[in-house]
Amino acid sequence: MKESRRKFIKKAGCSLGMVTLATQVQHFGRMTALAQKMGERKGSLGGSGYKAIVCVFLGGGNDGNNTIVPNHNDSSVSNYSDYAASRSAAGLALSQASLLPITVPRMGNLQYGMNPAFGPQTGGNNGLHELWGTGKLAWAMNVGTLVAPMTKTEYQNNSVIKPSQLFSHLDQVNQFQAGRSDTFSFSGWGGRISDQMTPGSNPSGLIPMVTSIDGAALFTAGQSTQPLAIADSDTGLDEVLNPIGFGDDAISQARFQAYNDLRGMDLSNDYVAAASNVTDAAIEANSALATFEEVTVNFPNTSIGEQLHQVARLIKKSGDLSVTRQVFYTERGGFDTHNGQLTNQTNRLTEVSQAVRAFYDEMVVQGMANDVTVFLMTDFGRTMDPAGSGGNVGSDHGWGNHLFVVGDSVNGGDFYGENTSNGTPFPNLIIDGPDDATFSSNNARGRWIPTTSVEQYAATVARWFGLPENDMPSVFPNIGSFTNTNLGFMQ
Amino acid sequence: MISRKKSFYILLSCLGILILSMSVFAQLDPNPNSPTPVLLTDNPTGRAVASLAGKTPKSVVSSSQRAFAPNSDVILYVSDVELMEGEGHNAFRVIARDSQNRMYRFPVTGIDRIDKKKPVFALRVNLRDEIGFWPQPSPTGDLIVQVTWRGLASNKALLGFGKTGGLKFEPQSEKKADDDIPTTEYGAYRWDGDRKRFLEQATFGPTWELDQRVRRIGIRVWLAEQLAADYPSAGNPYPEFPLKPNNVQIGCPFPTNSPEYTQCRWDHYTQIPLMNWFFKEAFYGDPQLRHRVAWALSQLWVTSGQTIRQSSHMIAYHKILSQHSFGNFRDLMEDMTLNPAMGDYLDMVRSTENNPNENYAREILQLFTVGLFMMNQDGTLQLDGNNDPIPTYDQQTVNAFTKVFTGWTYCNTGCPNSTAGANNFKDPMVLIQSRHDDSAKTLLSYPNAVNENIAAGLDGNVELDLALDNIFHHPNVGPFVSKFLIQHLVTSDPTPAYIGRVAAKFNDNGFGVRGDLKEVVRAILLDPEARGDEKTDPQFGKLREPVQLVTNFYRHFNVVNEAGNGPSDGVVWQLPQSMSQLPFYANTVFNYYTPNYVVPGTSLLAPEFGIMNTGSSIARTDAATIMAFVPLEVDTRNPPLITAGTSINIDDLIQMSANDATGNELMDHLDRKMMHSTMSPEMRQAILTAMLTIPSSENDFRARTALFLIASSSQYQVQR
Repeated sequence: MKESRRKFIKKAGCSLGMVTLATQVQHFGRMTALAQKMGERKGSLGGSGYKAIVCVFLGGGNDGNNTIVPNHNDSSVSNYSDYAASRSAAGLALSQASLLPITVPRMGNLQYGMNPAFGPQTGGNNGLHELWGTGKLAWAMNVGTLVAPMTKTEYQNNSVIKPSQLFSHLDQVNQFQAGRSDTFSFSGWGGRISDQMTPGSNPSGLIPMVTSIDGAALFTAGQSTQPLAIADSDTGLDEVLNPIGFGDDAISQARFQAYNDLRGMDLSNDYVAAASNVTDAAIEANSALATFEEVTVNFPNTSIGEQLHQVARLIKKSGDLSVTRQVFYTERGGFDTHNGQLTNQTNRLTEVSQAVRAFYDEMVVQGMANDVTVFLMTDFGRTMDPAGSGGNVGSDHGWGNHLFVVGDSVNGGDFYGENTSNGTPFPNLIIDGPDDATFSSNNARGRWIPTTSVEQYAATVARWFGLPENDMPSVFPNIGSFTNTNLGFMQ
Repeated sequence: MISRKKSFYILLSCLGILILSMSVFAQLDPNPNSPTPVLLTDNPTGRAVASLAGKTPKSVVSSSQRAFAPNSDVILYVSDVELMEGEGHNAFRVIARDSQNRMYRFPVTGIDRIDKKKPVFALRVNLRDEIGFWPQPSPTGDLIVQVTWRGLASNKALLGFGKTGGLKFEPQSEKKADDDIPTTEYGAYRWDGDRKRFLEQATFGPTWELDQRVRRIGIRVWLAEQLAADYPSAGNPYPEFPLKPNNVQIGCPFPTNSPEYTQCRWDHYTQIPLMNWFFKEAFYGDPQLRHRVAWALSQLWVTSGQTIRQSSHMIAYHKILSQHSFGNFRDLMEDMTLNPAMGDYLDMVRSTENNPNENYAREILQLFTVGLFMMNQDGTLQLDGNNDPIPTYDQQTVNAFTKVFTGWTYCNTGCPNSTAGANNFKDPMVLIQSRHDDSAKTLLSYPNAVNENIAAGLDGNVELDLALDNIFHHPNVGPFVSKFLIQHLVTSDPTPAYIGRVAAKFNDNGFGVRGDLKEVVRAILLDPEARGDEKTDPQFGKLREPVQLVTNFYRHFNVVNEAGNGPSDGVVWQLPQSMSQLPFYANTVFNYYTPNYVVPGTSLLAPEFGIMNTGSSIARTDAATIMAFVPLEVDTRNPPLITAGTSINIDDLIQMSANDATGNELMDHLDRKMMHSTMSPEMRQAILTAMLTIPSSENDFRARTALFLIASSSQYQVQR
């Protein structure tokens, strides 16, 4: 009896030993990291007119106040002293010396600093700070969820509708990813772009237009189209959706046939039908991903590194897949730095900087840097006022935040966005000051009222991606509440 | 000549009658089955009998109008149902589909019995989709409508929407739905399907022994036993580890490349011991129900091994969950609030008057107790004049609770478990009054609010009690907790009536006590919406979470160690991990999935689908392959992670396959065991076709092939 089982395993052509797979509890990849079967190499650069947008989501809410810091003494806009006044005492302020300098035309060529995490790393690459200098990286300032533009007075007297449940993770993530804050949404703006553009840009449908390397995210869910979700580059594209244990022999094939046939049966229960739909999509995509070509650049061995590595493989394969527009979603969690922020944020931003830089470099190698744009999203900004102090110091949930965009089609080396109270896109850093969303100085924590909405930021990306102007309202139903829908950071 | 198989059945049925006649006395459970509702139709066309709602009709009236405008109130007629006391319109749902097969749900807003003798009811239905995934249906033709009640679906019928026509539809006999339900009296045992479903809801999966036992004593007696059982089981006590310093290298003073170091790190600085213990208890423990409820509660009051590193820390947290699983929710709230793992995870342990931290204040309200919006007692949202939901609290409330929770820290000296050089995660946190913000506060506001205003100058201990009472008595807590537990045990999208019945138990256990989780759990499991031999409501059930998928499968088939001569070591967490659910390692405080997750493209509330995507669906297939075909092998490295391994014993299945080369005996058995006899003939045929390609000499391979195909099927992966 045992023999046939062994035979089966042998037939399956792979070892299913669990042991080697269990080395690290923290790793959330797929268990079936079977020996990679490299497909035959063939040229597969995307055809002309290919474009992709890649979302890097910083889960938990990255602290923008320690991501971009004023490094000047001009008191007409918030300067380093204003920053330090709020953050030094509790030990949350970055030192001026540690900041990576950037000179900002939009700010009258004043100097600002990027978090030191964006610098070069020993054993890694030069990071993202360098791309500011080469004009490939831009920052969109004080972006956040809005139903309509709003001043502090309007915030206080409730004369403009606020996004519901400000400062709450789930709700703010949903609104950011939905691309609307005026009402609850079951779909995300990446998914709705796919709804609109799939007929023209992905007619063969070998794989969906949207791919998530980090599971289900609202951003990727459309109404009529659903995303592919696959594991990171730990698993080759050829194995990422390939069920284990099926050989070429007749018995395996009969089992595979039955496995497939069962999904077409008993669909009267809606949960059964929903589960079968998902697996159907996986099996279809698996056929399209049977071979792939490895990328050139070394990606860091981090979660976000391996996610972007997988994206780079898919872009390299885009020609084979006959898809001319692709949307990707990746995520690095752990930015909810209520404590231990100086260490935790730095470590995670370093991972992000290294991974995005490797990805950018790979796009240059592939000749795709003009056609692929990476953009950041996150739950919200964080309070200027620190939470806790000393070694444990962190910050609480805030609102407006700074987001980077990277690629050769980016008008890099500058700040973008609507002006705050001080006439620039950089918020006034005074707690209980003109940009702080508070009702009373008693509870003021420094949560910046966004001056640029998620929709304005997203629409700028989507327009470059090729979303037709008349489809904008389908993807961003509340876009009409904002006058300027092109922030200018894309060429 | 009577075949061997036939004589077997005759023997079986004689035996069954004998046992049944005995069990009449032992079996005190009432019939779990509710009648199937019938939607009255105009039989020849299959069109629902309907009229515009005006006055309450006195008898069945079909108006001359055949199509109804969007948002109009319409009367539909349902017969054959038997309502319990207090059961009303919110026990019913109307599901509608349009010509594009888009799904909508219309709210039922009223019900009137219109026939004193016969159980005929007029349902008042508002033709406005209440889910909102799709835009409202366009009034351009017929919809197919169906009434559901207690997990049962009526016949389908046409309803003109705006106008009639536009859909192909075979009129269904009104009685057809009733006739479709197969009998489930196997070997003359009553309610076999209901009992197996019950065990899926109340345990980590039915085993043969447990199923037989519950058949003899009845589910109510078993429930009473479970609610009183010692926990954990005697053979599987909680693992005990000392508190260690934060720094692994100090806590494990061995060369970092030595086996001693690795073993020490696994034992003390990961949740591996907790996970292994957890699966052993799930596989073999007797107090299954408490284990199951504690597991559910760990997905409500979430902490995570991604932050809480030491096993001793998380075990202390799990003890609180299990201790209060059948206790009072108020006690759970207090012990959780003061639990150091929670304190560390959500930052209360470092929140002081001068440096307050909002994290715990926000999440205890939003995620653990009251939720964001005011609810009715049946869990539906209260709406204001503009039809908008009403926030439960605002940022000011969060600020006030933040102050309540300031000043607490680890009890590193003077408590029973205080340990030099380590933070005390075993005893409750203690207050340092000088770090507590004792200013006056305004807490949650609700009708007859308890302790809405807290005076200045109070001791932090006193204030904590007052504040937790303020939360505990908020009217949302009952429906919030009830809905959560129903979703985890029974069905993802329960009717408001079901939530309301359970919430009523939460609010008052019958003896004037609020928050009695024992009675809440009992009410959930004995509710008529949970009970019954077969559930035909297309929206009843839940996707098995990865942990349940694994434990149910292994428990079906006598889970043993790799060698097959002793118990499994419980080291199976790699399987749920591959499916995005590593136990006690949720990615965030929002658990692996949120209670409000809706399957894209549908109107279905389905938390577990939050981790069901193309990638994880293949991981689920792979897990089925591994569990069916391969033992989890003992680790040959030093130290070993897997010490005994895990496999299944299917000698009985092999014998069945050998008995009957057509495969039918085996399939009968697996259908009963795994799917409580809901397997369709098509599904059986597809599996048999694959099985029979294997030579009849290889019964092991045949049996495992059938196991894989069932376990990987959506039909099985949805518990219903």
